[in-house]
Amino acid sequence: MSGRFKFAAGFSIYLLAGSGIACAQPQVIGAPPEALNMKLVGTSDLQARSAYQPTIHHQGDRWIAYIGHHGGSDDIPAPVNPQTGKAEPNGTSILDVTDPSQPKYLRHLPGQEGKYEAGGAQMVRICDGKALPKGDRNAVYMLRTFGGEAHEIWNVADPANPVLVTRIAGLKDTHKNWWECDTGIAFLVSGAPDWRTRRMTQVYDLSDPAHPQKIRDFGLPGQEPGSTGAVPTELHGPISTGPSGNRVYFGYGTNKGGFLQIVDREKLLNGPREPTADNLRIPEIARLAMSAFNGAHTTFPMPGMPIAEFARDKDGKTRDIVMIVDEAILNECNEPRQMVWFADVTVENRPMMISSYTVPEASGAFCERGGRFGAHSSNESMAPVYYKKMAFISFFNAGVRALDTRDPYHPTEVGYFIPAITAATDKRCVKIDGKDRCKVAIQTNNVETDERGYIYIVDRANTGLHILELTGPARAVAGIQ
Amino acid sequence: MRHWPLIVSAIVALGALSGAAAYQHAGPRHHEQKGEWQEIAWPFARDGWPAGKAFRCGAAACGGEVELYVRPKMGFCNCDRGVADDDEVDRVADLDLLSERFAPIAPGDVARIADMPGRIRAYDLKMSSGLRQTAIGVAVSRRCDLLVAVVHGKGAPLELQRAALDFLATSKMTGWMMAAMEGR
Repeated sequence: MSGRFKFAAGFSIYLLAGSGIACAQPQVIGAPPEALNMKLVGTSDLQARSAYQPTIHHQGDRWIAYIGHHGGSDDIPAPVNPQTGKAEPNGTSILDVTDPSQPKYLRHLPGQEGKYEAGGAQMVRICDGKALPKGDRNAVYMLRTFGGEAHEIWNVADPANPVLVTRIAGLKDTHKNWWECDTGIAFLVSGAPDWRTRRMTQVYDLSDPAHPQKIRDFGLPGQEPGSTGAVPTELHGPISTGPSGNRVYFGYGTNKGGFLQIVDREKLLNGPREPTADNLRIPEIARLAMSAFNGAHTTFPMPGMPIAEFARDKDGKTRDIVMIVDEAILNECNEPRQMVWFADVTVENRPMMISSYTVPEASGAFCERGGRFGAHSSNESMAPVYYKKMAFISFFNAGVRALDTRDPYHPTEVGYFIPAITAATDKRCVKIDGKDRCKVAIQTNNVETDERGYIYIVDRANTGLHILELTGPARAVAGIQ
Repeated sequence: MRHWPLIVSAIVALGALSGAAAYQHAGPRHHEQKGEWQEIAWPFARDGWPAGKAFRCGAAACGGEVELYVRPKMGFCNCDRGVADDDEVDRVADLDLLSERFAPIAPGDVARIADMPGRIRAYDLKMSSGLRQTAIGVAVSRRCDLLVAVVHGKGAPLELQRAALDFLATSKMTGWMMAAMEGR
């Protein structure tokens, strides 16, 4: 064999091997889920509705899952509800998950007509009437969005038969609300008609859900009515630490130009309410500008975290951390990577990014699998089982990722679960030479945990709900026996 | 003939380079001859979206020096409503690349560019130097993607708007915009 031939043969083998490594691994119906230290406990198809926020509530002696839905798809704008036999616009699914291996679908409560983000009822939060200062002690209240036009409160004491309590309407958009059950203060992500942004904050006192009291409108200077000039990035969602923590962490942006805004809750609630630029600045403590490449979907506070590495330091042994989760929005990696960031906000007026996490793309050829690849959201439960120990990140076609966050300076992945696709899983397309080229892949959209330690993930591409639990070393991280 | 692969590679590389150079120079010369819009380098620092195309039109053709910037913003639009109101133009039309301080002169109007619907609006711009200019912001959409353009100069709003819309309606620009919206 001549040297030239040997070189050619070797080069060919190299090319073939290389193409093999880079080859996509398309999901196929019937194939098992991909998992590490996480296992499937139960599922529900959620009537093949595109799902967003799950909220799990311990209600009497039952555990109830409330799951918000995006609007329908081009192919099926209003799926048929088998319980009624009628086509219903996507709204809220209500399931009894007391036995997580056998979720019982109780009720579909229709939402606003409209496809994708233009319809549905994507956001949902729950408060017990007995927890709210002026609530009906026998009631359980569900705060949900109604498409982009309203917020609604329902009494779901009987989760199979919700009763509408009140409605806050006349909006141009809604999104990821926060509701403090012990005070009733709600930070509603709304589009007030006269504001220059699609999404800002309307602060309400919902301590008596039947009689909502508006406190004020809030946003970034430049978004308020009558202002001119550049308009800052729109809000995605806030998380409050309540009266004791006295902070609200606002996340602005989706996949671009994000901000973490740290706000003094007391000044926000009791400061001057007229939406002038000066008044909007008063409650702000600091703002952490992110790269123009990333937005802030979730801003999850973890104050007072002891950092083992700093244990012998005379100062700074504990740190206040905010985990920031970006949202990927374009299919097949047609954008900068959206991922997870950890900010040290101990010195509040000098917040600083300290670490990041992403799924290694090559670990699953995720850019070629189809649909979105990148972060979207985290669990928002602050129940002791996982709080300040583990976080769960929905990563679209890379499923859910379990992170050990005990050292937020060095977060590490300790498990993952990528559900199998089903016949209900919807396609995701990109344009190639002017034509749609579509693939089918899981699109794990949102995640939540309950006090028992179960992990609930829902799919944006209509695959439904998967209830998971940790196994092996990941259980030890959380201290679960 | 041990060196023949190198020689062939060199010839191919030289040919490609000269072809690319010829391509790069062909456009501007054509425009210079006509004294109309000339492509210039994208003058802004990197932000959340990839750079687009930038053009300058001289006083002879446009009545005063005018610059126009146009680019797609993929995945930045309300997928169903599109560019529904003037606030959306304020937010997305890249006016903030020119100056943080701008104010609309009047309510905007509907517009259609490269067969995409949207809105157009005129602004008073206060530049960092203190100079005032007029700008026209345009935002059109197709499904979840936007195409935005902003033109600025010292001319009257209607003149600027006409110059910008005429240029964006040329077959060359329409072809580029359609390709850009498809990621080509």
